[in-house]
Amino acid sequence: MLERLAMEAPRFFAPHNLALLLEAMGMTLALTVVGCVLGFLLAFGIVFLRQTPGRLALPIRFMAIFYVEIFRRIPFLVVTYLVLFFIQAFVNNASLFAIAVIAICIYSTAYTADIIRGGFESVARQQTEAAAAMNFSRWQTLVSVIIPQSWPVILPPAVAFAVGFIKDTALVSQVGVFELTFRAKEMNNEGFSALLVFGTTALLYFAMSYPLSRWGRWLEQRLASSPSKRSQQRLRPAHRS
Amino acid sequence: MNFSFLHFFHFNYTFQWGVAFAHLPELLQGAVVTLELGLLTFWGGALIGLLGASLKTFGGPFLRRVADVYVVFFTNTPALIQIYFLLYGLGDIGILWDPFTCTLIGLTLNAGAYLTEIMRAGFISVHRTEMEAAETLGMSVWQRIRFVIVPHIAKVIYPALANFFIVILVMGTSVGAIVGVDELTGQAINISTENYRWLEMFVVVAGIYVVLTLIASLSLALVGRWAFRVKAKVL
Repeated sequence: MLERLAMEAPRFFAPHNLALLLEAMGMTLALTVVGCVLGFLLAFGIVFLRQTPGRLALPIRFMAIFYVEIFRRIPFLVVTYLVLFFIQAFVNNASLFAIAVIAICIYSTAYTADIIRGGFESVARQQTEAAAAMNFSRWQTLVSVIIPQSWPVILPPAVAFAVGFIKDTALVSQVGVFELTFRAKEMNNEGFSALLVFGTTALLYFAMSYPLSRWGRWLEQRLASSPSKRSQQRLRPAHRS
Repeated sequence: MNFSFLHFFHFNYTFQWGVAFAHLPELLQGAVVTLELGLLTFWGGALIGLLGASLKTFGGPFLRRVADVYVVFFTNTPALIQIYFLLYGLGDIGILWDPFTCTLIGLTLNAGAYLTEIMRAGFISVHRTEMEAAETLGMSVWQRIRFVIVPHIAKVIYPALANFFIVILVMGTSVGAIVGVDELTGQAINISTENYRWLEMFVVVAGIYVVLTLIASLSLALVGRWAFRVKAKVL
C-alpha cells in the first residue's frame, strides 16, 4: 500500500493537480460566503416579519415562524435536491452554482433567523419602549436602537454557523458543483488512491475550517468585552440582567 | 414590452403526487432506517463523548491532548469525507465494510466529537464544592462520575443533547444516502431514479422528515420533563 502511495504522490501533488484542488477550495469558500451572507440578510427580513405587531399581521408572523421551523427540520441534502429539481422543472439552463447558492441560502436563512431573534430579544425591553415613546418607527427602532446593541450577541454565533457550513457544503457535490468534495471524487475516479485523495481533502477542509473557527472564537471573546457591550451593560439596571 | 426573458422559464411541468404517495410504504421503511441510524449514532456518540469529556476533564496532559486532537479534527472536517475515507480509503488497504457500517462508524465518530464538547460544558458546570464533598465521603473517581457528576450534568446538558439528536436525525443520517444506505433520503433517490418524479418524491420526503423530527422533539421534551425536570423547547 505504501508503495502505491509513494508511487502516486508525485503525480497527485503535481502543480496542475494542486491548482485544481485550490480552485475547488475557492469554490467551496465562495459557496459558503455567498450563501451565508445572503442568508444572513434574508434572516433579518424573516425576523423583522416575525416581529410585526398587530392582529392583521398574524398570517405574516405565522409564515415567518413556519419557514424557520420547517427548514430546520429538513436535511440539507433534501433541500438541495428540492431546489435542484424545482428549478430544473421551471427554468431552462439554470447554473448549478446558482442552484447550490439558493439551497445554502434557504438553509442558512432558517438557522440564522433564530440566532438573530435571540440577539434582538437580548436587548432590554425598556430600550424598545423608550424608542416607541420617542415616536421612532419600527424601522428606526431596529436600525438605531436594536441592531447597534445586539450585533455583538448576533455576530459570533452567525460566524460560527457560517464556518460550520464550510463542511456542510460537501453535500452540494451531489448537484455537480465543482467544489472540493466533487473534485476529490473525480480524482478518485481517475484512479488516485482513495486514501490519498480523501485524506488530503480532509486536511484541506481542516485548513479552511480550523483557522476560521479559531478566528470566530477570538471574535466572540473580543466582542464579549467590547466597549459597546460594556456601555450596554451600564445602561441596564443592575438588578435586571 | 420585451418578454424574451420568458424563454428561461417553462411552465409545462405537471405534478403527479399520486406516484409519490404510492411509494409511501417504502419511504416509511426508509424512515425506520433513518431512526435506527440516528439512535445508534447518538448512543455511540454519547459513549465516546462521555469518554472524551472525562479525558478532557480528569485525564493527564497526554490523554487531554489526544481528546483535543480528536475533537478538533472531527469537528473541522465534513462527515461525508470521513465516510468516504472509511468506505473507499480503507477499501484500498483491504478493509471492506458495507455502506451502512461505514456511515454508522463515520457519523458516530463525528457525533462523538461534538458530544465531547457538549458534555464537557456539563462537566464544567459541576461545582468544585460538590466534588470536594464527594471526595470527603471517600468516593473514588469512578464513583464521583457515576453518582455526582452524571446526575448533575444530565439535567444541565439535556436540552443540548435533545437538540443534537435532532441535528443528527436531520443533518447526519441523510449523508448516508450519498454512499447508498437505504434510509429515508436514500429510498427517495432509489425510487426517483426509477420513476423520475424527483420533485414530488422529495417534497413528500421533506414532509416525512418534518413529521419525524416533530415526533422526536415532542417525545424528547416529554422525557426531559419527566426524567430530569427540564423544560425543553419543542419548536
